[in-house]
Amino acid sequence: MAAFRSTSSSLLKAASISSSAKLAPNATSLAQNVSPFRLFNPLLRRGLSMITTPSTTTAVSRSFSCISQSTSPDSPTPSKVQELSVYEINERDRGSPAYLRLSQKSVNSLGDLVPFSNKIYTGDLQKRVGITAGLCILIQNVPEKKGDRYEATLSLHFGDYGHICVQGEYLTYQDTYLAVTGGSGIFEGVYGQVKLQQLIFPFKLFYTFYLKGIPDLPEELLGAAVPPSPAVEPAAAAKACEPGATILNYTQ
Amino acid sequence: MAAATIAFGSTSGAVGGAISAKNVNQFSPISSFSPKLSLLNNSNLLSTNTLSLKASAKPSFSCKSMASPQDSPAPDAAKVQELSVYEINERDRGSPAYLRLSQKSVNSLGDLVPFSNKLYTGDLQKRIGITAGICILIQHVEEKKGDRYEAVFTTYFGDYGSMTVQGQYLTYQDTYLAVTGGTGIFEGVSGQVKLQQLIFPFKLFYTFYLKGIPQLPEELLGAAVAPTPAVEPTAAAKACEAGATIVNYTQ
Repeated sequence: MAAFRSTSSSLLKAASISSSAKLAPNATSLAQNVSPFRLFNPLLRRGLSMITTPSTTTAVSRSFSCISQSTSPDSPTPSKVQELSVYEINERDRGSPAYLRLSQKSVNSLGDLVPFSNKIYTGDLQKRVGITAGLCILIQNVPEKKGDRYEATLSLHFGDYGHICVQGEYLTYQDTYLAVTGGSGIFEGVYGQVKLQQLIFPFKLFYTFYLKGIPDLPEELLGAAVPPSPAVEPAAAAKACEPGATILNYTQ
Repeated sequence: MAAATIAFGSTSGAVGGAISAKNVNQFSPISSFSPKLSLLNNSNLLSTNTLSLKASAKPSFSCKSMASPQDSPAPDAAKVQELSVYEINERDRGSPAYLRLSQKSVNSLGDLVPFSNKLYTGDLQKRIGITAGICILIQHVEEKKGDRYEAVFTTYFGDYGSMTVQGQYLTYQDTYLAVTGGTGIFEGVSGQVKLQQLIFPFKLFYTFYLKGIPQLPEELLGAAVAPTPAVEPTAAAKACEAGATIVNYTQ
């Protein structure tokens, strides 16, 4: 992750230039706001991203409790935390993001809305899972950080498994935690929080979910996560959505 | 609940008798809806599809289980309560407001659709309140002749309180959305809700599967009218007559 800092700005520029044709007309405003951003506690989080079994999450420093013993084998243990990692990747083939400059100001300002929808892959980047779908509400431009504050409301759709709803702050210049507000399917009744790490704004993001209140997640979602860096790419089979490289009825 | 869903692929221009030309013009901002806005006549144009329920979204919950015998008001965390409501657009709230912000002729990411419709009990006997929220167009799905939206909205139940909902709304098939919270009698609620579209975008049927709240009041739990495109609220409920609404139904 340390190597990321020096290469981030050149990667960002390359990414934004090649994609400007596909982004919304105001894509240049996105490019202008792109800046090297600092990873938040990179070493601590790197260790966590490798965790695949719930029983080892005690190293997490956030305020949720360690895993307690389950008393009923069939029902979810109230305080047991399950970690789930997911990569969100904008492959520039969904017309996303759509930057709606409704403030009509030259600087990103309150009033601007950014609907978006990108592809999501398992943390091990072996399988295509589905999509994100939601809205970023621009709250304010933060000149001293060369970035923006958004309020994000989105869902991550996991094909036949169901979906997870998320809401919270998205800062383009640092990692944030958002709230998990609910879900459907295997995520029905879920609560908890999710850490959002931006790898390349706004094309690659890494989510680490800390989920409570649901039964054990299926193994295929829990493969050892590839350590997040700007260079990560999904397996070619996953990108091509080949059989065996997707979950069942991955969301399109 | 009935298994019939509407294959919303009909682009034939047949407009239901209830819609006059005047009403259609009233919605010109959503004229882009028009291939899908054409109301399906009650029977012939409908084709039924089997519900493509998500395999794992099968009811892992049981039907209403017995409440714990003590008269403690504390909700049983694992007990699932079913609640059915009808959402009906009576075209008197200016809804939906299709904001074609993508500025494209095809529904595209960027389009936003705020909406607010009326809500009735599942037995269609009482007016409950309203829905209020926004549909974010995610993509047009040409092969299904429909659209994918991300919906974020609240259902208002008058003095009882409200419930917030978020999830995918597909105009071509039923979906499950998440129940993300609530107020009043729904405070602390969790669960999911099944959305069945009967007539796009005028009649929808919701089945809530709720956990974490006390026993719901009887007047919300009347036997639901089986969902079909032809269902209508009782005249008294539509007119919001005394006895045909809940207390201080949301307007």
